[in-house]
Amino acid sequence: MAVEDVKLPDLGEDAGDMARVAFWYVDPGDQVESGDELLQMLTDKATFDVPSPVAGKVVELVADEDQEVLVGGVLCRIDTGD
Amino acid sequence: MTKASDSAAPRRSPFPPWLRKRVPTGGEARRVRDLLAELRLETVCSGAHCPNLPECFARGTATFMILGGTCTRSCRFCAVPDDPPGPLRDDEPGAVAEAAARLGLRHVVVTSVTRDDLADGGAGHFARTIRAIRQRLPKAVVEVLVPDFEGREADVETVCAAGPDIFNHNVETVPRLYPAVRPQADYRRSLDVLAHALRFAAGRDRPRFTKSGLMVGLGETHDEVRAVLADLRGAGCGIVTIGQYLAPSPAHVPVARFVEPEEFAAWEAEARAMGFAAVAAGPFVRSSYHADRVYEQCTGDVTA
Repeated sequence: MAVEDVKLPDLGEDAGDMARVAFWYVDPGDQVESGDELLQMLTDKATFDVPSPVAGKVVELVADEDQEVLVGGVLCRIDTGD
Repeated sequence: MTKASDSAAPRRSPFPPWLRKRVPTGGEARRVRDLLAELRLETVCSGAHCPNLPECFARGTATFMILGGTCTRSCRFCAVPDDPPGPLRDDEPGAVAEAAARLGLRHVVVTSVTRDDLADGGAGHFARTIRAIRQRLPKAVVEVLVPDFEGREADVETVCAAGPDIFNHNVETVPRLYPAVRPQADYRRSLDVLAHALRFAAGRDRPRFTKSGLMVGLGETHDEVRAVLADLRGAGCGIVTIGQYLAPSPAHVPVARFVEPEEFAAWEAEARAMGFAAVAAGPFVRSSYHADRVYEQCTGDVTA
């Protein structure tokens, strides 16, 4: 079993800037394919749908809805089964 | 069970549904970031917190920002810091050319901060950058997006003489909003910069086109936008971009209105009818967004 951290991707913000979790499309236990949308993020300029970089089972949502996350911060963990 | 049904009705977003983007998976973003860091280059994509950055970097493109990472003006729509300026990097023109070559760009866009502290406003540095790109990538289209050089015609000519294909200078907003949005700029002066670039181009190969852009959603009226488009045509401007203003932070000018996609489509049609050779209008349109495709709309030189 290999659990991967899914991190906040580059949304155009500078290092040290935050983006806010709007809401999760998935719950812990959901199976996702690579490219499936995981959550919606807000920056000061737009709404971003963030897709999963890997396939697997969502094991933990680390960032809560309405929480601000630093660029590079962990959003959730996915068990890729490898 | 997933909550995908929520995607149709986003809850806590302050943005209308058309200001929503999907972050690309894969692509070239990491390579672009690493190359920019290695060559110590700035981009306006990052400096302005552009919402198109994930898309453009994933496509392997970026808009270079020369003359430093801080600006001597304090426009209230812009995220680039107005800290004291540093010295110019003599190796920056070569670094931009190197980055453009390694990214394999066929359309290179170079912009800058404003440098009112320099005698030539950075025009010579622009010219060296254009020539460095030309030498390295002779077939590439070179587009520059320049400051107003405080209206000095000699500096406009210095840039134009280096032979950019496109000379872009943004008017940014309607004249009534200049004091609130770009207090150190002057609307007429910006129009004169565009007009002078075209005068210089007469009888020469380049610049082939002048280009300008404005943001909407700052509180301007339709008639004011219409008047700006007419003024730009009057200055011989051939390419125009119109996009939604988005505030980079709560400390910047607030968005007065989110303009609907249908209204952008109407502006695009109206601008074409006014004789612009190329028009890009849409919520996420920025000055250099898909600049290569916008340029492809141009079929011939447009003059006043």
